[in-house]
This record gives sequence, structure tokens and C-alpha cells, in this order.
Amino acid sequence: MPHVMISSKKCTGCHMCELACSAYHEGVYRPAVARLYADVNPTTGAIKGHTCLQTGCAKCQEACPNDAIVTKEITVKAVGLDEVKGYVLVIDEDKCTNCGECYDVCPTNVIHAHPDREVAYKCDLCDGDPQCVAFCQNPHVLAVDLKVDKADKALVGA
Amino acid sequence: MDFYKGNVLRIDLSAKTATVEPLNMDWAALYVGGKGLLFRYMWEYIPPKVDPWAPENPLFLMTGPFAGTNVSTTSRLVVGAKSPTTGILNDSYVGGSFAPEMKFAGYDAIIVVGKAPEPTVVTVRNDVVEFLPAAPKYWGLKTSEIEQAMRDDFDPEAKTLSIGPAGETLNPWACLSTDQYHKAGRGGHGALMGSKNLKAIALRGTGSVTVGDARAFLADMARIHREFVLTDDNLWAHEEGTPVLVDLVNGAGAMPTRNWSEGYFEGAKNLNSESFQKIRVKKRACYQCAIGCRNFHGTTFAGKEVRGEGPEYETIALCGGNCGIGDIDALMEFNAECDEWGLDTISSGSVVGLAMDLTEKGVVDLGLRFGEVESYVKAPAMIAKRQGAGAELALGSRALAAKYGHPELAMEVKNLELPGYDPRGSFGMSVGYATSDRGGCHMRTYPVGDEILAGTVPADTMEGKVQQCITGDCANGFIGQNFSSIKFSGIWCDFWAVTPQQLAQMFKHVFKREVSEDEVMLMGERIWNLGRLFNVREGVQKDDIPKVLYAASGAFKDGPSAGKAIGEASFASSMHDYYQLRGWDQNGVPSEEKLAQIGVDVRL
Repeated sequence: MPHVMISSKKCTGCHMCELACSAYHEGVYRPAVARLYADVNPTTGAIKGHTCLQTGCAKCQEACPNDAIVTKEITVKAVGLDEVKGYVLVIDEDKCTNCGECYDVCPTNVIHAHPDREVAYKCDLCDGDPQCVAFCQNPHVLAVDLKVDKADKALVGA
Repeated sequence: MDFYKGNVLRIDLSAKTATVEPLNMDWAALYVGGKGLLFRYMWEYIPPKVDPWAPENPLFLMTGPFAGTNVSTTSRLVVGAKSPTTGILNDSYVGGSFAPEMKFAGYDAIIVVGKAPEPTVVTVRNDVVEFLPAAPKYWGLKTSEIEQAMRDDFDPEAKTLSIGPAGETLNPWACLSTDQYHKAGRGGHGALMGSKNLKAIALRGTGSVTVGDARAFLADMARIHREFVLTDDNLWAHEEGTPVLVDLVNGAGAMPTRNWSEGYFEGAKNLNSESFQKIRVKKRACYQCAIGCRNFHGTTFAGKEVRGEGPEYETIALCGGNCGIGDIDALMEFNAECDEWGLDTISSGSVVGLAMDLTEKGVVDLGLRFGEVESYVKAPAMIAKRQGAGAELALGSRALAAKYGHPELAMEVKNLELPGYDPRGSFGMSVGYATSDRGGCHMRTYPVGDEILAGTVPADTMEGKVQQCITGDCANGFIGQNFSSIKFSGIWCDFWAVTPQQLAQMFKHVFKREVSEDEVMLMGERIWNLGRLFNVREGVQKDDIPKVLYAASGAFKDGPSAGKAIGEASFASSMHDYYQLRGWDQNGVPSEEKLAQIGVDVRL
């Protein structure tokens, strides 16, 4: 399935992705509530990207006792990249009780309780126009890239 | 309120109190943010003629309206004060992530007043401000150590603005550090912070910056990002970064060499962009910058691993050629030492070069010689600790040269050591240095840009240079003082070759109305004049540069700029023209007509 990944090697640690992510989803610039993040150690320059692997992982979906994390069909057209069809995992806010089961199982630490509302929030690839990709150094660095799992490609083709 | 948070955090170290005042939006309308708004606050909050070492002399941290958004390069913070080193205004800029974090914590500006009774660290988590004793755990720490300590003890996401040991010993060129390698370098703000017994301000902000319709703003910024940021005009900074300047400036005979006694350094080939690319580990960026100019290097010196960002061109010039050092590993070590002890590298290289000159000339033996690596790499620590010869060097260029009877060897303007461009190879820099609002600085106007880098105008004439220093040739990317003033109020970085027309497109979002190019330039002129008024009020010394840089007798005998001299008469007439074009009297005091015309709202 399509999902974004941050290349630790290419990423410069500018956090433009987090800013764009929060502005798109929250209507304000608030990187503390971004759906992805780059963990940067300024001294060593070491960077670790944290992004949602969507249906390729789906541990949150499996853990959810309320079926509040649903698979949604999506067409992703990221700036400068080819169109990709597939699925993302999105929160059904009517069903989500903010119980926290998913927060504990996420291997990349990118599903959390929203600070203002009693629901979980996570990456939904901006409904197919991922702002993190748009604001990465595309096409010069493209640290935030759109990846597609081979297994998922077969699923899409099927 | 969009873009601005509308809050100023006032930290009184004497009283250990933190209060929030509303940001003065009338001033913001006139002076925008960053440099301009800083100057307006400085005018109001600094008691006229205050002793810069007095607790009443505040330290200002000012953001720009775009910090914390997707406007590339505008994460810069400006640190301002009446400098204890120069006695006039000093606005020193630093990238990294501190300014956006201030906005997310809820503040456009922080004003630090008073003096803590004991060494102190201030932590700010959104609206919670705490004062912690710095001794014994934090006082004395190097810059990487205090940052790590704040991440360990305060918040893993802490953004810290700190002084190194050099600030604690009140070194006149002690800087402020954030994200380890990012320095508000110039003018001794570290000494001012040290004099207030303030080791660090550690911040964590989890709030937001609003911009109105965020998705519309995002769409416009995505356009600007692609059309104006990620272009060949800017991406040199990503591909190479400032080491690219070494061959160009050295080739023009304008690279300070062995305490400015030459303009061409034969060892520069070991310090150029090609050499640094060989030891480059990766590219790094400031917060919210798509360009990403920073080079993270790794090498070994004396069997020890040396890793970190930089050095940038100015460091290569002053700590390299100016010290006769062509050893890239030694330069890396010296740079890392300056970073850790909290010393500005321009002044460090300048003072060490001077000390080498004094030693070589037999004036006084300060234990340093041009090109001698072993003593050179130990200098930053000795300076920061005021140990041995370090205590002498810590006087700074002017006082050190004067003490030993050679004031002509100090290469400074208004007691701020000069950066890496010799006016003998770039004539326009002479007036640029002389009229710079904070003393010896290349960031106000940059005639090097068209004289050397682009080569579009001859470097060895003053023809047209005064006008260029004032207004620049913005359409072609050459900044003058008026444009840099508004650009640094955004606060856009120098490395985005942005035009007034592009600034206007971005300001439109802030002011919620159309903004013209003319208005952008007018705001810049207003800010520059306000800075001048402040300096006149505080008693600025005569605008001049070291005579050797323009006198006929100072011309180089060898190198690419051999035989070139501006001449005393030509320099004097250029200064005369500068004041006239500015609408200032010949003492550099802005006229009432000029101030009224450009809308400056204060008077002497």
C-alpha cells in the first residue's frame, strides 16, 4: 500500500513535512500534532524518520477493540510522483473512544491521542495529496518519499 | 491573531519573575518583526546611554512573523542588545529551531532583564517559566553538554539557547548557541548573557501558529517553494554551501590572509569546497528550510574524531587563511573548539591571527605563529578560560593591538572584527563595512556578490558602489542595506536570494492586503534609519575602516588584487556621498525630512 517514508540518509532535518502536515490537518501550524516526524539529534546529526506504514503494518487496526480504524481506498498523487492507487488506514472518529490500545502497539510511534479532542489521530496521506512530500526538497532530495509494498501492489492489481 | 502570537515574555532575572505583555502591534505594522521590531523595542526598552554591562541593559530575542510556518528559511531568531563589546546596537541572527519553538510556546519575543543573584537556567514550557540554579551541574558546561543536559533533565524535545564557558568568563566575542552548531555569533551577546548569570534558556512549545486559511496558505507556499526556493539561484547552498566562496574570493585577492597582510592564501586549495566535500557526512538544514545549506563534516585530528557542522566560509577565511592555516583537519578542530567553548569564529580567527602577527613581528610572544597547528588548536580553550596568553587574547583585537602599541594591526570596525572579505579585492565592501549598523559586518550589504561572485561590475572602482550599498540591485539578487533590513525582519535567510516582489507576495498573507515592492523597500529604509537613530543616541563612533584597507600605501604587493587601492580621497568622497544619498548630515544623523518621509515614529 502507498505510505510515506523518511530516508534517514537524505533527510536534512528541516521539519517542513511536520509543519505542512499539521497545517493541512489541524488548520494551524502545530508540529506537536503532526502525523509524521523526524527525530533529529542536532549534535550527532543522526535522524530517524517516523511515519505510518498504513496497511503494510496495521497493528493499530488489529489492536482496536471498536473497529474505529478503517481501511479506505485512496488515489495518491504526490507532487512530482506517479499516481498510486491503494488503501490507507483512517480513524472513524464516531467509533474511536480514545482507549489507547493502538498507541501502545504502533511500532513507529505515529498514532496518538489528540490534545484537544478525545480521539486518536494518524496519517491519512492527506486524502491523496500528501503535503509532507510537497514540502520536502522535492525533487532535489525527496527524503519524504512515497513507497508501495510489493505485496500491496498485487492486492491493488487484483 | 495570525502569524504573530501577540505575546512578549519578559523575564526579570533579578526578581525571578516572568510576565507576559502584549506585543505592540502598532510597532509591528511599521517594523514587521525580526530586525525592525527588535530595533523598535530596543529604542523603547533600553535606557538611553545605559552601561551595557548594567543589569538594566536587556537582552532581546525576537522572531519573525513567519517562524513556525512553511515559509522557507524564516525560522531565524534575532538576538539583540546594546552590545557590551561595541557599545552600539547589535542584531545577531541564528538559525536552528529556537525561534519556531518560541512561537509554539506562545511568544513572539523574549526580553531578559536584570541579573540573577546566582548562575541560573530558565526553562519555558508553554506558559510555565521556571528558574533553576545552574551551579554546580550546568555552569561550566560546553554547548553540546548543556543542550544534552536540557534534553535529559527538562524535556527530550527541548530547544536550548545557551552560552558556553566563554560567555561565563565574559569574553567580548562569546556567542549564543542553539542546536549545537548554530550561533548568534557576533557582538558578544554571550558575554551579556553571562553577565546576567544566565547559562541557558530551554524551551518546549506545543502550541500553534495560525495563518488564516491554512490550506490556501499551504497551496501558495507550495507554489513559492517550487518557483522561488528550489531554484539554481539558491541550490548552490545545498549542493556546496559557503565553502564554494573560498576559491572565488581567494581568486579575487580578497581573502584575509595572515592578519590581512595578504589577500590571497596559497593554502586555500586545501580548504575549498572540493576539499570539504571529501569529508562531508551529510547535509543538514535549519528548521523550516528547504534549501539545507549546512554541511555536516567528519574527520580526525591528532587521532581524535572531529565531527560537526561547518566550518562556513567566514570561519574558513578567518580561522584558516588569516591564521595561515591550510590544514583542513586542524581547522575542523579549531571550529569545533570555538563551537564548544561558545566563541564566535570570525572574531576568534581575527584575534588569533593578530596574536600570530604580534608574535611574528617580535612585538610580544603570545605563543602563536602563522601556520603552527599545535598552539593554534589550543587557543579557543585558552581564550575561553582566560588562561595564559588566552587572557591577553580575550581583550579582543582592538584592546590587544593597542596594549602592545600597534592599533593599526587590529582589523575591526567599531570594535567588531571584520569578516572574510578584504575591500582591497572588493572595493564596495569599504563603505559597506564603514556604515554597517553593528560594526564590521558583511551581512548588511554584500558588494562581493556582484563584484566577485557574479563578476557583473568591476571590483576595483567605487563608481556606483555607494548607491549599491544603500539600495542594492535587488532584482539581480544583490542586497543593499535597505533590502537586508526588511529581509532580516521576516526573518528570511541570506541564502534565499529572494526579491522584494517575492517578499511582497508573502507579506500579503501577514498584512491581509496587497503589499507593493515599493512599500517593502520603504519598510527597509525605515528600519535602517531607526537603527542609525539608536546608534546616534548611544554615541556611535565615526564611520571608518582600518586605513590600510583603503590608503594607497596599503595596497598589496602580490596576488590577484596587487596594486589596488581605493585611495583616501575616494573613500572620503564615497562616505560623503553615502550620507548625502541617505538624507543624513555629514555626522551621519538622519534629517527630520528623511525621518518624516519614511515614517520613522521616534526622534532623538
